[in-house]
Amino acid sequence: MTTSIPGPELPQVLSVRGASKAFGAVQALSNVSVDCRAGEIHALVGENGSGKSTLLGIASGSVAPDEGSVQIGQQALTRHTPAAARRLGVGIAYQDYSHVLGLSVAENIYLAVPSDARPRYGRMEQWAAETLATFKLDISASAAAASLSLADRQLLEVAKALLTRPKVLLLDEPTTALGPDAVEQLHTLVLERVQSGVGVLYVSHRLPEVLAVADRVTVLRDGVGQGTFDAATVSEDALVALMIGRPLTVAFPERDPLPEQARVLLELTGLQGDRFGPVDLVVRKGEILGIAGAEGNGQVPFLRALAGIEPATGGASCDGVQFDRRSPAGPLRAGVVLLSGDRRGEALFPVLSVRANATIQVLRRLGRGGIVPRAAERNAISSLVERLRVRMASTEQPVQSLSGGNQQKVSLIRPFLRGDVKVILAEEPTQGVDVGARFDIYEALRAKADEGVATVVKSSDPIELAGICDRVVVMSRGRIVQEIPRHELGERRIVEAIVGSRASVADKTAEASAP
Amino acid sequence: MRRGFLPLVLMTALIVALGAYAEVHSSVFLSKSNLNSLLLQSMPLIIVSFGQAVALLVGGFDVSVAALMTMCVVVASFTLTPTTTGLAIIPGVLAVVGVGIGAGVCNAFLIRVLQLPSIVATLGTLSVLEGLSLLLRGYPQGPINTNVTGKLVTSVGFLPVAFIGVVILATLADGWLYRSRAGLALRGVGLDARSSRRLGMSTSLVVVLAFVVCSLMAAFAGFYLAAEVQVGSPIIGNQALESIAAAVLGGASLAGGKGSFVGTLLAAFFLTEINNVLPLFQEPAEYADMTIGVLILLALVLYQAPELVERLRSVRRRVGTTPDAHGEAPA
Repeated sequence: MTTSIPGPELPQVLSVRGASKAFGAVQALSNVSVDCRAGEIHALVGENGSGKSTLLGIASGSVAPDEGSVQIGQQALTRHTPAAARRLGVGIAYQDYSHVLGLSVAENIYLAVPSDARPRYGRMEQWAAETLATFKLDISASAAAASLSLADRQLLEVAKALLTRPKVLLLDEPTTALGPDAVEQLHTLVLERVQSGVGVLYVSHRLPEVLAVADRVTVLRDGVGQGTFDAATVSEDALVALMIGRPLTVAFPERDPLPEQARVLLELTGLQGDRFGPVDLVVRKGEILGIAGAEGNGQVPFLRALAGIEPATGGASCDGVQFDRRSPAGPLRAGVVLLSGDRRGEALFPVLSVRANATIQVLRRLGRGGIVPRAAERNAISSLVERLRVRMASTEQPVQSLSGGNQQKVSLIRPFLRGDVKVILAEEPTQGVDVGARFDIYEALRAKADEGVATVVKSSDPIELAGICDRVVVMSRGRIVQEIPRHELGERRIVEAIVGSRASVADKTAEASAP
Repeated sequence: MRRGFLPLVLMTALIVALGAYAEVHSSVFLSKSNLNSLLLQSMPLIIVSFGQAVALLVGGFDVSVAALMTMCVVVASFTLTPTTTGLAIIPGVLAVVGVGIGAGVCNAFLIRVLQLPSIVATLGTLSVLEGLSLLLRGYPQGPINTNVTGKLVTSVGFLPVAFIGVVILATLADGWLYRSRAGLALRGVGLDARSSRRLGMSTSLVVVLAFVVCSLMAAFAGFYLAAEVQVGSPIIGNQALESIAAAVLGGASLAGGKGSFVGTLLAAFFLTEINNVLPLFQEPAEYADMTIGVLILLALVLYQAPELVERLRSVRRRVGTTPDAHGEAPA
């Protein structure tokens, strides 16, 4: 902590001291301390991957810290389980909810409250309806939880957390699905509890929203605390400055300016799915378009819908021709290729060899009469393996034995092998990739773009987007809320766009989205 | 229970239809002695299917139950011999029950602590138990005390007392499952373990208990199997797939969180009825297997039809409302 506000003498309801946590080789949190007093709202802000969720996980008992301690009320959390933290007085509203979707709303509320607060089983539905009324939620107690809108699910999640009568309430991005009125409603609910002495740790990337209600703000960057400030006096600009500024460790390939009238390859009109949209967007030949946004604002479902994996309505055309998105085969036939962010689960066959993974989409072309000669496969990939600098012992090595970066390169061989790719959709192309391999991947994407492919890159890393893209659009609540042209691109500009998006911005999609 | 009645209605209808058909074609079907033996025959499958239903409720399978039943029969042929009398019967019975609990704890350990998928874990225990049974009794030998097993098959008229018992048990268990806090918690864990854990439930304990209860029921079923064969046979239990079939026909979901004990009872009885009826027509037993297979498929399609329709509808409804946060990993 660089700055600490003395503040009034209120008891601490939550105190996390010197918490560190590593997941594998990634240090998610190092020596972070944060506390929350009774009756205050303490905001926790930071970029994607800065360690906010890990810190909440530690405070709520679902993540065991490698080092450090957690105190709730005046008691230490010794067993790191959600049940133990609940008993000590932690209520948490998860970003991805804690609803059992197969049960009714009433049953979900019943399970959420401590057993001594539960009524007789037979009175459950009536009690649940009364409870919902005290929260002024317009939700039917007998409805199936799965039938609730996403906004209602989010409000119900907060209500459930409050029903545990917590000393400290943890909110993890509680407004991602909410419109302006619902945000207001949620804040009213929370403020009522704060007045009666509940402490709130509020994680959000929406600075204007959270600063409107917070008393103090703590900034995290790369798992390290950047200080705690008085919310009334700190400016948004100052916070953004603390959130960004990671040292630049990677170089980016050269970009030539796009020709003025480059042909439009990908054109979307009113594309809308369950969790995003409507999106209007064009991507031109040779262009790399970045998609930025806080995690969970519809970027991934958007890419998946475009690749025919999730259902969506609206129009999508590639090179002037509408393509069939009912299954992944349609987009592939049209030349639209998705590089999934889930490399093990979706992009690669982990136990198959590098060769088999690289050539699997073009076997028909390599084979003759149903038989694929190994030599033909090896010839096809040998130059690409070199060009992408895939580090491996042999092309017969199983892909799962390669490093993350080399695995990603193998999946990148595929669009190079197929001659017919027009659009590449890359989801987190360098996640889990070491610094050395990143440049190779950026270079490969740029090389494809220079060959005339239109590329869409979804990344949670603003430095990466600023470094490789010709243009970046920012998504919030499933819509494109800002477009940043090439000459304005920079980490700061992107982060400002992400954290500056108020609920009302979502309504300006029409003006803000692409031409 | 909402849609939960469909399996009960369907199973009852099938039982009555098959019974009526059998009675028309063979006058012995509704005779007291045939009904009595049919009900007794169904006891092992009914009891083991209750256990299987519990395993399915937490989203698991237990394919080791059949081998465990055999093992229990084999153990009984040592601990409950015709010379076992008086108080010596109690440790004899406890030994069999202990084998059941031991197997259940072993399964629970493999599934919960070593995190093996339940189908793989119980497949392993299945082989081990089969081997152990053959080691203890290389061929059917060792008579089992009929004074003990005889008590299990006591009947009032044509109704075995035990059958009345399982009907009451199933009714109580369904009431517990759908009308009590603990039952709700069990279904919650089966439907969504992650959310249940987040709500402070001890999901591990629930899963462990479920597998122990499943094995315990298999041990009880073993007693009824022993009453039937009356000798330490190492090769008799084959109820693994039938017990899963009964639980599923009775309304259980393979994804966990759903099921009905009354439905399971009816389905287990129906499956036994098929096996009982076909010989009356001198039909080969292969038809029974095929009938069971086709029925399971039909029942699954029928039970899931409302969900499929609902899902299609909700996708259509939700497209065009609010965007979402859900489904992407938190930062």
